[in-house]
This record gives sequence, structure tokens and C-alpha cells, in this order.
Amino acid sequence: MNGSEGRTSPVGFDQEHSRRDFLKTAAWATAALSAAGIGGFGIASRSANAAHVNYPTYQGLGDAAIFSFALQLERLEGTFYARGVDAGLFSGPALAQIAAIRDHEMAHVDAITSTLSGAGAPIPPAPNFTFPPGTFQDPGAFLQLAATFEPVGIGAYGGAAAALESKDLLAAALSIHNVECQHRVAINILNGVQPPNNLAFEPSLPLPAVQQAVAPFGITG
Amino acid sequence: MEKNTINVPGAEGFAQPRTRRDFFKTLAVAGAGAAAGASLFTSKKALAQGSTDADIFNFALTLEFLEREFYQRALDAGVLSGAALGVVTNLRDHEAAHVDAITDALQGAGATPVAKPNFTFPQGAFSSQASIINLAATFEPVGVGAYLGAGPMIQNPDFLEAAGTIAGVEGDHVVAINNLQGVVPPANTAFAQALTMDQVLAAVAPFLGMGSMPATGGPGE
Repeated sequence: MNGSEGRTSPVGFDQEHSRRDFLKTAAWATAALSAAGIGGFGIASRSANAAHVNYPTYQGLGDAAIFSFALQLERLEGTFYARGVDAGLFSGPALAQIAAIRDHEMAHVDAITSTLSGAGAPIPPAPNFTFPPGTFQDPGAFLQLAATFEPVGIGAYGGAAAALESKDLLAAALSIHNVECQHRVAINILNGVQPPNNLAFEPSLPLPAVQQAVAPFGITG
Repeated sequence: MEKNTINVPGAEGFAQPRTRRDFFKTLAVAGAGAAAGASLFTSKKALAQGSTDADIFNFALTLEFLEREFYQRALDAGVLSGAALGVVTNLRDHEAAHVDAITDALQGAGATPVAKPNFTFPQGAFSSQASIINLAATFEPVGVGAYLGAGPMIQNPDFLEAAGTIAGVEGDHVVAINNLQGVVPPANTAFAQALTMDQVLAAVAPFLGMGSMPATGGPGE
């Protein structure tokens, strides 16, 4: 299984390289999640280590910018799940779940877009998303990537919530945050994780961690 | 099984159009006009008067006490096996962790945590795996709704973030329970539903001996 020794073409090398970069990113995100989870509870770790648990970048963004960033994350997720459905990787209950998640993410995109428009805020152009090679050729690879996406979305909403000025938008963000958590467990179920409800706290992520996690997919804002 | 029916909105109720309508109303989207929408981003409208963060967290603590006791008694009943046993064991552990975290947070803020009430459960609540899982399916959306409803009322950003990390886990639980019940797909709502404090109280009153629920049940009786 030592694939790095078996490369026979530049293309294969590039793909392997991309894949390693991606896995590095995923590992990094996972490490960030683990770090965020240390201590388990925000309040306890905050008082002990305040410098690492403030979210100054969320705090400085403002509501419109936070929701613009959320829009890109939702677009990324919606695109990912739509391509997963279109690729024909799934059938039966798994397809029902992946299609439902796609629909949820698209509903989030629509709601956030309408909110930004209603507020007169600009709608950022949709990025050209890029995914690791093979993502849509194998259900296992797809679900592994899904398992890394969901905690990033969760962490972003969780981290940004306290920075929102509008209580209405806060309520909306908490509602969506909860659905992303539900997706995480749904993906666990599809990945055979037992039991799928395997966290006592859903960690928040600082903005730079979210940005670094999604940059390889084309979100540079 | 009929005896386990409690005055709680069913899982369907949380996924019905009301959810989306409320959400969109909150966001003041289509047709709201730019002027109305713009006010969303500057709205400081208070959603709650008179409830302090400590009040809210003490309310949450009571709910977590209830869930912890329910799942502990479910495990003690010895009727769970297989995937359900694993899921419920984690449910118990998570709710216990929430009790501890909220207690610590309240004490850290100089507030006095409420004592655990004496709970009553419907007759037959712990008689079978199905009865346990059915009742759990009514508990978990209430937990989600309580946190989502209370979230925007929370003033302290640390408390808010903590509430989010817990609320997300209650959302996790909804999906895990749905899966045990054979709901396909288990993650099936695009926007998680907030509940008012009155709705939450109405749902849990029977367990606090304030309703018509028979004060019996449990493996030891």
C-alpha cells in the first residue's frame, strides 16, 4: 500500500502531491479541532488561556461580512454534496441522506443570500471550488471529506455567533449551526462510526483556522 | 406506548413549514425591501427582558439534570443492547458533562446552581428499548429548541459560545435517536427549531410533577 513508491507518471505524482497537501490540510484542521476541544468547555479554557480563545477576527468583521463568509462555506458544502449526488456514488438511505444535506446547504445559501440582499450588502461571487482528485469517484473518499467539512462549518458558526450584533441573525446562525452538527452525526452514521453521537461538546474554531481549512477548496476570502 | 405521549412538539413539528417561515420571517427576506432588511444588521432589539445569563443557565441546568437522569435510568433498566446501548451510554455521558460544565460556569460567574429536582417519568418509560428511544426522541428536540430560543438572550459572549457547543450536541442527539428509530434520512431538517421558554416549560412540566403525568415508572417501581 506504499503508493508513493509506485508513481509512474507526472500526473500521478501531481495527484499524489495534491492529495498529500489535502490530507495535510485535513490533518491540520483536525488538529485545530482537537485543540479547540481541549478542556472541553469554552468557559473553563477561556479563563485559563484567554489569548487563544478570543475571536478577534470574527469580532472585527461585522454581521454582513460574517454572513458573506458563511455564504461561501455553504456554497462549498452545497456544491460538494450536489456533486456527490450527481456522481451517482450513493443509493438507498445513503443517497437520501446526502441529497437531504445538499438541500439543507442550498437552503442555507438561499436564506443567507436573501438576507444579504435585503440588507443591501454585496453578494460575493461564488468561487471556483476545487476538490482533491478522486473525491467524486469513491464513496469512501467522499464521506471522509464530508467528515472533515462538517466540523469546519460547525466551528465557524460556533466561533462567529458571539460576534454577531443582530440578535435575529444570531438566532439564524444558531439554527444553522445546529443543522451542521446534525450533518456531522449523519456523516458519522454513513461512515459506520459507532456510536455516531461521539462528542459532548461541538467545538468552535477561530476564524484563521476556518480560513486555512477551506483555502485549498478555493475560498480565499 | 400511549402513556409515553407527552405534551411536546413531535419531530415532525420541528421540520414543518413553520420552521422555515419563522426563519425567513426572522431574516426578513423576500419582499422585505432594502430598508427593512438593512435594519436587521443594526437591530439591537432585546428578545428577553428580565432573564439574566444565570437564570438561563439555571434553566438549562434543570433540563440537563432531567436528560442525565432519564438516560441513567434507561441504562440502569438493563433493556438496551447493541447500537442503542452505545448511543444511550454516550447520551448519558454527554448530558452529565453538560451538567458539570453548566454548574462550573454558574459557579465561576458567582451564581448559585439550582439543585436537581425530583423527576417523574411516565409509567413504562423504561420497560423496553423502544419506549426509551421513543421518549428520547421527544426529549432531544426540546433540548435543541430551548438552547436555540435562549441563545439570543444570552449577554455574556463566553456563555453564548458555551451554549452553542452544548446546543449542537443536542442536535447530534436528535440524529442519533432518529437513526435508532429507523428514520430515513436521520438528518432531515434544514433549520433547527427554536422554542420559547413557555413551550419548553410545557414540555417538561410533567417530568417536574407539574402536569397530569402519572408519577410512577422506572425499573425500581
